Amino acid sequence: MNPYILATLLFGLGLGTTITFASSHWLFAWMGLEINTLAIIPLMAQSHHPRAVEATTKYFLAQATAAAMLLFASISNAWLSGQWDIHQMSHPLPTTLITLALALKIGLAPLHTWMPEVLQGLDLTTGLILSTWQKLAPFCLLLQVQPANATLLLVLGITSTLVGGWGGLNQTQLRKILAYSSIAHLGWMILVLQFSPSLTFLTLLVYFIMTFSLFISFKISNATNINTLATSWAKAPALTSIIPLILLSLGGLPPLTGFLPKWLILQELTKQDLAPLATVAALSALLSLFFYLRLSYAMTLTMTPNNLTATLPWRLPSLQTTLPLAIASSATICLLPLAPATAALFTW
Amino acid sequence: MVYMMYCLLFGLVVGLAAVASNPSPYFAALGLVLVAGMGCGVLVGHGGSFLSLILFLIYLGGMLVVFAYSAALAAEPYPEGWGSWPVLGLAVGYLVGVGVAAGMVMGGWYQESWMVCDEFGEFSMLRGDISGVAMMYSSGGGLLITGAWVLLLTLFVVLELTRGMGRGALRAV
Repeated sequence: MNPYILATLLFGLGLGTTITFASSHWLFAWMGLEINTLAIIPLMAQSHHPRAVEATTKYFLAQATAAAMLLFASISNAWLSGQWDIHQMSHPLPTTLITLALALKIGLAPLHTWMPEVLQGLDLTTGLILSTWQKLAPFCLLLQVQPANATLLLVLGITSTLVGGWGGLNQTQLRKILAYSSIAHLGWMILVLQFSPSLTFLTLLVYFIMTFSLFISFKISNATNINTLATSWAKAPALTSIIPLILLSLGGLPPLTGFLPKWLILQELTKQDLAPLATVAALSALLSLFFYLRLSYAMTLTMTPNNLTATLPWRLPSLQTTLPLAIASSATICLLPLAPATAALFTW
Repeated sequence: MVYMMYCLLFGLVVGLAAVASNPSPYFAALGLVLVAGMGCGVLVGHGGSFLSLILFLIYLGGMLVVFAYSAALAAEPYPEGWGSWPVLGLAVGYLVGVGVAAGMVMGGWYQESWMVCDEFGEFSMLRGDISGVAMMYSSGGGLLITGAWVLLLTLFVVLELTRGMGRGALRAV
């Protein structure tokens, strides 16, 4: 792709998110989301591979449907209440419609089916943009809308955590597993959204750090399925010993950063007298933990003393930048002792 | 006039059913043209003549070119219209659905939803849509510039998607 075009498209990505962040008017918020979708599409299809084009088409159809629904809901809101302000949503019908449209945009459980398919067709860098940066703008809107019905968000959240765990169980493709892990984490964020928005924001940022390190490590070891993971110790031994920790951090095991958001969310849910819901959410994290554990097993526990599970690749020096990965993976692994400071930072 | 408006609104709903009933691309495009035309007629009937002119000339003109090309790319030897049973079943289903929904909210919705844009037109200098355009160029200038930039971005997006003859994303197979 021409560098000028690439710069224009990346600028479009930034502009879309900025416009949505800065807007208090539904039309402008919708416009920012549309700019975001438009700008990512050529980036997704840049390899012109049939799988990439198919994934782009699916993404475009899902996002266009969600954006049309959002526009319809905000116009209905303007018709019913006579104003376009994001903060003054009063009628339950447009509020519910907008919540559902944003759920389709970020891929929450009953509306998640496009997400694994789309991510599977992309390369890891574009997939990383799709599962981090593209979530920011819809999330900003979701945080600002006061939900009309408390049950709706709880149902979306708990279904997402369960589906994210179950869906990833039988996958051998890493990008699909990453998509299901994204769905599960978004479910946790949505569960606590109406009780503590700052906690949702904290979870989102922690998820970004964790998934960034995982995507970049897979990119460095050039792995897109479990078989390739089994030989990655021959390519980058030090990284291979770090990746299980990143995976278990995503799964939410205690001495790692990933435990922090889950811990605080469970505490908040218990405070709100939602102990059964908190129990189901905690149990659904076990489902996710299973496939993270299977990835770690394939990566590290099948090393040299055992029989090799795949042919070894030739060892070539890697030319990729590793500094961002180093910072992100240390944050992924050792941020838990800073939990009070992190939580205080996000309380406003 | 009222009879005319009924006809236009009926055409609008039938056109929407024609798009939604999943026919071949030709007929869906035809349905969309029908919807846009009828919608412009409804707008004229309620005092938005300038708006409907803009919609009809620019939007429909641009969309027709796109539709002509995409219909040519996706040409089928046996296109399916309302003559085939699944499509007809869907269309009838949608029309019945609209009828049921209209029957349920009958009497409650149309007073507020269809209002004439300028009441007491003799007392105002400008029509509503013309003054809206003036507002867009004065206080809505920032929005206009952003909109123009987004259209330019869309052009680049389309060019980038369709470049490269045989290996582009859009091609006749």
